[in-house]
Order: sequence, then C-alpha cells, then structure tokens
Amino acid sequence: MNDVNEAALLHNYLLVGMVLFVIGMTGFLIRRNLIVMFLCVEMMLQGISLSLAAWGRYHNDWGGQMMILFIIAVASCEAAIALTLVLVVSRRTGNLDVAVWQDLREEGELPFVDRELPEETTERPQSPVLPPAGRQPDVDEDELMHRSHV
Amino acid sequence: MNDTIVILMILVPALPLAAAILAAVLGPRILRSRAHWPVVAAFAASFLCSLSLLVHAWRQPPGYERVESLWVWADIEGAYAQRHSPGGADQADSAGVMRHFTLDVTLRIDTLTGVMLATVTFISLLVAIYSVGYMRGDPGYWRFFAYIGLFVFSMTMLVSVSNFLLLFVFWEAVGVCSYLLIGFWYRKPAAAAAGTKAFLVNRIGDFGFMLGVFLIWTTYGTLNYHDTAAGWPSVSARAGTERPVFVDLGRAAAGEPGEVVGVLSVKRESVGGWRGGGVGLAICLLLLLGACGKSAQFPLHVWLPDAMEGPTPVSALIHAATMVTAGVYMIARCAPLFVASPDGLLVVAGVGTFTALLAASIALTQFDLKRVLAYSTISQLGYMFLGLGTGTLAGMSAGMFHLFTHAFFKALLFLGAGSVMHAMGNVIDMRRFGGLRRRLPHTYRTFLVGCLALAGIIPLSGFWSKDSVLFSVHARAHEMQVHWARRQAAEERVSSGTAGSLPAAGHAARGEVEAGSGMSDGELARAARLYAWMYYGALLTAFLTAFYAFRALFLTFFGDERLPGEAADHGHESPGVMVWPLAILAFFAACVGLAFDQSWLNGTHPFAEVLADTPSLSGAVARTETLGSFHFSVAVISTICAVAGALLASCFYLGDRRAAAWFQAVMDFRVLKSADDGARIARVGQQPWIQAIDRAARRVGLPWLTRLAGDLLIFTMLVITAPLLLIRFVSPYRLSFGKFFLDETYSLLVVRPLRGLAWLLDAVDRWLVDGLVDLVGQLPSRLGALLRTMQTGLVPFYAMAMILGGLIMLLTMNQQFSEQVMLYLHRLLGGMTP
Repeated sequence: MNDVNEAALLHNYLLVGMVLFVIGMTGFLIRRNLIVMFLCVEMMLQGISLSLAAWGRYHNDWGGQMMILFIIAVASCEAAIALTLVLVVSRRTGNLDVAVWQDLREEGELPFVDRELPEETTERPQSPVLPPAGRQPDVDEDELMHRSHV
Repeated sequence: MNDTIVILMILVPALPLAAAILAAVLGPRILRSRAHWPVVAAFAASFLCSLSLLVHAWRQPPGYERVESLWVWADIEGAYAQRHSPGGADQADSAGVMRHFTLDVTLRIDTLTGVMLATVTFISLLVAIYSVGYMRGDPGYWRFFAYIGLFVFSMTMLVSVSNFLLLFVFWEAVGVCSYLLIGFWYRKPAAAAAGTKAFLVNRIGDFGFMLGVFLIWTTYGTLNYHDTAAGWPSVSARAGTERPVFVDLGRAAAGEPGEVVGVLSVKRESVGGWRGGGVGLAICLLLLLGACGKSAQFPLHVWLPDAMEGPTPVSALIHAATMVTAGVYMIARCAPLFVASPDGLLVVAGVGTFTALLAASIALTQFDLKRVLAYSTISQLGYMFLGLGTGTLAGMSAGMFHLFTHAFFKALLFLGAGSVMHAMGNVIDMRRFGGLRRRLPHTYRTFLVGCLALAGIIPLSGFWSKDSVLFSVHARAHEMQVHWARRQAAEERVSSGTAGSLPAAGHAARGEVEAGSGMSDGELARAARLYAWMYYGALLTAFLTAFYAFRALFLTFFGDERLPGEAADHGHESPGVMVWPLAILAFFAACVGLAFDQSWLNGTHPFAEVLADTPSLSGAVARTETLGSFHFSVAVISTICAVAGALLASCFYLGDRRAAAWFQAVMDFRVLKSADDGARIARVGQQPWIQAIDRAARRVGLPWLTRLAGDLLIFTMLVITAPLLLIRFVSPYRLSFGKFFLDETYSLLVVRPLRGLAWLLDAVDRWLVDGLVDLVGQLPSRLGALLRTMQTGLVPFYAMAMILGGLIMLLTMNQQFSEQVMLYLHRLLGGMTP
C-alpha cells in the first residue's frame, strides 16, 4: 500500500520535473533573448533538481537532496558568470539578441539576418482602442514578425 | 727530383683551380676589375710547370710514364666483372667473376700528356691576357675569369688523369665549363639556347662514351691506363691487412703475380693483347661517339657553330684550341684499342674525312666571320681524326701535330676575329664591313699569318702538320695496296704450286708488322681503296680550306673601307693587351711547324719522336719507316691545292666581285630560274609562228587540235620544270649556305618528335597524374564542405543539435533505456487514451 503510494508520488514528481525540464528546453531553443535563455536554463535545472529530490524521497536517501545543493551552488556560480557575460554583450552591442553573435560560423557561410527592422516610430504606439463598430485594430505584420521586444 | 715532378703534376691543375676559386670568391667585391690577376698568374705558373714536365718527360728514355696516386676515391670489394678469356669467345665468357674495383685519383705524366698540358696552358695564358682587354668593363668580368680558370683546371685534369672514369668526370667538367661560357651572356636568348644545344648534343656523345667505359670495364676488368698491384692502393692493403683478391684476367704472365695490367699498359701485349672483333669494334665506336660529341665530328658537329654566341676569347680557347681537342686526345690515348680494331680505325678516318669536307664546303659561303672559323675548326678536327684513323704511328703523331699547330693558328684567327669585332662594335657579318687593312694594321698582319697557316701555305705551321696528315694517309693507303698485291702474288704462287717453301702463304705472313695483318683479302683491298679516297677527299678539303680562309681575309680586310654604324666611335686598333697575344700567337703559328717538323731537312720529326715515347703509343702502334720521312710529291700536290684555293679566292674577292657573283649565280642554278617563270612561258604563246599555226588550224576547222597541243606542251613543261624547281632548292650554294640543312633535319627528325613526346608526357602528368593527386587532396575539403553549412554560429541551432544528438545517442546506444522510454510513453499515451 505504502509502496504504491510512494511510486505514485515519485511518478507525479517526475512528471512535474519533466514538464519543467521540457519547458526550459523548449524556451532555450526558441527564444533569442540571452536573459530569457538563461532563465530557461535555470528552469531546466529546476526540473532536474525536482526529479532528484523525488528519487531521493523514493529511495529514502539524502543523496538526491545533496545533489540539489550542489546544483544550486554551481547554478549560482554559473548565473554570476553568465549574467556578467550577458552584461558585457549588451554593453557592447546594445542588443541581447543571440543572433547578433554569429562570429563562430564557418567561413563563407552567410550570417543569419533578420529582415530589416521597421523604422522605430517616434510617437508612442497608441494603445488600441476598439472602434465603435467593433472592428479589429490594424496590426502591423512586420512588427509582429520581428518582435522588437523579444 | 721525383718529388718535384709529383709536385709539378699536382700544381698544373691545382693552380688554375685555386685561381678560379679566388676569382669567384674575391671577384665581385674586392678584385672587381683586377679579377684577372690570379687567373693570369696561375696560368703562367701552370704553363711553366707544364713545360718543365714536358721537358722532363722528353729527357727520359722512351716509354717513360710517371703515375702518381693521390687518394682513393672508391674501393669496392667484389665488384662484378665478366670473365674474358683472351683466347676468344667460348663458354668461359658467360661466367662472371668477382673483381676488386679500386678507383684512385691518379695523375700521370708521359709525353702525350706533357704535350697536351703545354699546349693547353700556353694557349690559355695568351687567351686570358687577351681577355683582359676584350672583356674589360663587362659586368661579369670576374665570372668570366672564374669560368676559364675552372675550364683550364678541368682540361689539364682531363689530360692528366690515368683512369677512364676520371677521364669521363673531367670530360663532363669540361662540358659544363663550355656550357657556362657559351651561355656567358645568358640574358641573350641565342646564347642561352646555344649553351643548351651544346650541352644536349654533347650528352649524346657522352652517353656513348659512358657505354664505352662500361664495356672497357667488362672487357678488361680495370679502368686504369696503368698497371696496378692487385688491391693496391686500396685502404685495406695500406693498413697492412692483405686480403686475397681474386684476379685472373690481368695476371701478367711476365709481370708480378696479382698485378692488374692496365687497359693501355705496354704489358697488355703479354696477357693477350687488346680485344679486336665485335667487342673491340663496339668499344671503338662508342668511344668515337664520345669523341664526335666533344670534338664536333659529323653527326654531332652542330653545336660548335652555335657556340660562337659566347665571348670570342671563349671561342678561341675552348671551341678552337683546347676543349674540342679532347676527343682527339682521347683517341690518341686509346690508340691501342683502336689499332686492335681496323674497322674502327676506318670509321674514325671516314668520319674525319667526311666532316672535313662537309664543314669546309659549308664554310665557303658563310658571312659570319666567326662562323667561318667555327666550320674551319670542325674541318681541321676532321683532319686530325683522319690522321688518327690511319692507325700508324706516323698518322697518330700527325693528327696530334695538327692539333698542336691548329691550336696556335686557330686561336690566332679567333682572337683576330675578336679584335675585328671589338673594333666594329660587335658586328661580325662580313657583308657589313670591309677594307679594314689600314684601320687594323696589326690585326690584319696577324690574321694574314693565321690564314696562311690555316690554308697550309709553306712554310707556316699549318702546312707541315697538314702535310704530315696527308702523307700518313697516303702512306697507309699505299702500304695496304702493296701488302694486298703481295698477298695476291703469294696466293697465285700457292695455287700454281710453285711456292712449296711458303707454308700457308699470304694470310699467315705475320712475322713482319704489316699494314692490315689479320684482315682478309677483301677487307684489305676495301680498306686500301677507302684510304685512297680519303686522301683525295683531304686534298679537296685543303683546296676548299685555302679558298674560304682567303675569302674571309679578303672580305674583311680588302676592298673599299666600309664600317658598320655600330663602329662609329671606336673603329680603331685594339689595345696592346690584345695585340701582343696576337703577335705571339702569330709568331708561333708561323714557326712551330718548321721547328718541330724537320723531315724535309734531315728526316727527323721531333714532335713525332716525342710523342712516340708515350708508352701506349710506342707499345701498340706499329712504328713504320714512314715516321719522319718527307714525301715530296704529296707536299707539292697539297701546296698546289692550297695555292689554287688561295688564287681562286683572290680572283673572286679582290677587286670587283663580279666573278664571285657570277660563280654564286651558277652554283645557285640561277639559269633555271627562267624555267619556272610564268610570264615567260605565257609569252611563248604569243610567238608569231605559233599564232600563225593557230590561225591556220582555226581556218581548217580544228581549233581543238591546237588547244590540245598547247595543253600537252604546258603539261610537259610542268613535268620538266617541277624537278628543276626542286633542284634549285638543293643547289650547291643553297646547300652550303644552309649548312646542308642539317639543323633543320635534326629538328624534324629528333627535336620535333621529342618535343611532341614531351608535350604528351607533360599533358599526361599535368592532367592525369596531377589530377588524381589533386582529387585526393580535394576529397577532405569537399566532404568538409558538406558539413560546413551546419556551422552557422547560431546558438539555438547548436543547442538543438546537441539535444537531438544526445537523444539519438541515448536511444540508439542504450537499448534498455530506449525500451523503457518506449514502454513509458506507451503507458502514458495508453493511460490518456483508453
């Protein structure tokens, strides 16, 4: 009876850990903002930590939690270094887009270039106001494509 | 005393070498325009050493030779050599023996070497002094003197060494120096091409020479001229550990046991003599091929005229006086080998005669003064070969004597031509200048002496040496005829049965040394006939020689004074440093003949006597009574020939040259020119009587008949004129002026096919072989190009690749894991969708 509960508990925790890990991984893959990517990595770490804790509980062993402590320590160091680097990168280019840093590509390989960013409009974009007839406001397609605020 | 001799022997080549090194090292920076000092000084010292060596060798008893081994170059135990039994070809021939191969650097002195050394160093000394004036201001001044220093070193070594392989080494060294000096003005394409041509043509001869040396090794088992103790002076023997060396071939019956008898040693007679027959003939012909290359004889003579692209002192030194005589020296040195093979001798003489005639007939029409002299050199070398080819001591010494005198007068002529060039601003075409008699008085006088000597006018040196050659050939032919007649008589006697007292008569009459002993009757008759023909060929050459020598003289120094534009400001006599060598050479060219050939006076021939002391010559070559005798009729006939040539030249080229132009037109078949003149043929149809016939035929109503007749006539004319046209292209004048089109023939037969082959091989190499190599080289980079597109530099892409890669690894490599994942997924999905 107890065993069944323990197994179910482990199963649930592992599911959550897996979800966290996959979300983090997906985010790391699809986002280009360095800070968001960094956060996604953190989320993956959390998913792993959670599954470690769950295994530690299941085996009735402190090892899993000790591993988590290690992960936290390493992650904090990593955060310090990574954020420093991100800071330097953003200072040099004024940009946090990871696609800007393509210098490691093979010689002769064309760089990945976003389409031209649309001209930044000087006036502040007005918050959409529903027209009286309930028509959808005009959406700038380019603006959506380029995600100027990634 | 002996040590002094050894030191002198070493000094003769060593001094020029040291001077060459000095000039090369110090020349460009320190000596500059004084770069000639070490070279001239070394040549002078070398000449003195040579002279004292010659005098020393002269004073010794006949057969004197001194051989000094300096060091061992190679010492090979158990080198392979074919066994040769002197008896003849039998099954023992097929058995090989192991032989001790010792190659020591050995210098020798005997009279032949002494004469060559003295000649070479003396001429070199004068030419070097002359070059001081001629080469002044040339940017390659020091280079020139370094080269000629090197050349004299090589040449003196060539005549000093006592080993066939070393002979070959210095043979090549001389060739290299010749190449360097012909291409001395290497920026001039013609000079560079001439250097390459000389080198390549010589290579053919050298190949034959090399094969000849190999054949000598397999036949005689040694390459030394001289006798050596077996294994001596090998290192092991000197160290005292005597090793038994298996020597059977050279074991002298009379000499020490274990002594290797040299190829050209006198003792060879006692161990079976020199090889005749097929092998002997092959050795002779291969050596002759080498000599033909170096001495510019018929098939390989084409390089010498082109070699005139080099500086004129080089032409005088190398291509007239010294280097080209290496072939003559070599044949004289190898006289025993040639004498053992009468057919080889006949070939030598034949090649010499043919070359002499050919080159003389080419020289008749050339307009380049130096080229006339170059062909004259070839022709005179042909004389030397003819003399050597007689195989008698008189002939051999006559050939060498001609070499000796020719060195003086040809160097003189070339240096004179150089003096003309110097004054004419490097113009050498005789059509562009003339009448230089007053402007260049000293050059004119010395050149005249040279021409007289070359033409063989009594009493200049050329007369005596040429006469010796002619006489030796005549004597040889005569001797053979007499011998043949005697044999015929003996055979008749035998057949008629009256000569019972003469067992095996005729063929076996070998007790006395007779010309052509060992030849069959037919061969003897043929050889006698050939030698007689050669004699007449040589006489004709003497006539031609006188003609072209005086033609050159008259064209250059007589007639109205004409100067080319290039000579505008310096059409004057050369400086003293150039004139004095000319004067000295002229003196010697005039006197050496008289001094060394006193046969007309008291029947002695000091030069021949000196040469006859050479062991290889005295040992092997039959000393006939003709040595030192003077044949009055031969001298008269040759003088008549020479004077006739000179007179003809003066008829043609003194005064107005109408006779020469007329003769040239005749020789060019100008008459035939009208035969293929189209307008003239067309005019024939306009003749009134032909027109009348035509009209009459038309009136009768047969116009086609006249047309047919006309067509037939034209056809006949064509058939007749076509060969005439061809004949015009090979008219004597054109043949002579075009050098018998030998260069063109070689180009067609040899150069073009080889160039085509080279092109083909180049294409195969460039496209096939290189293509394969390049393909292998490009394979990695092509493969890499496939993966290169993955290196985008985009971080998300790398992350994706990493994750996918990790997943794939996990799934494929750990089967248990993959099964569990599949099971889990199945359960998960199964739980979701019941």
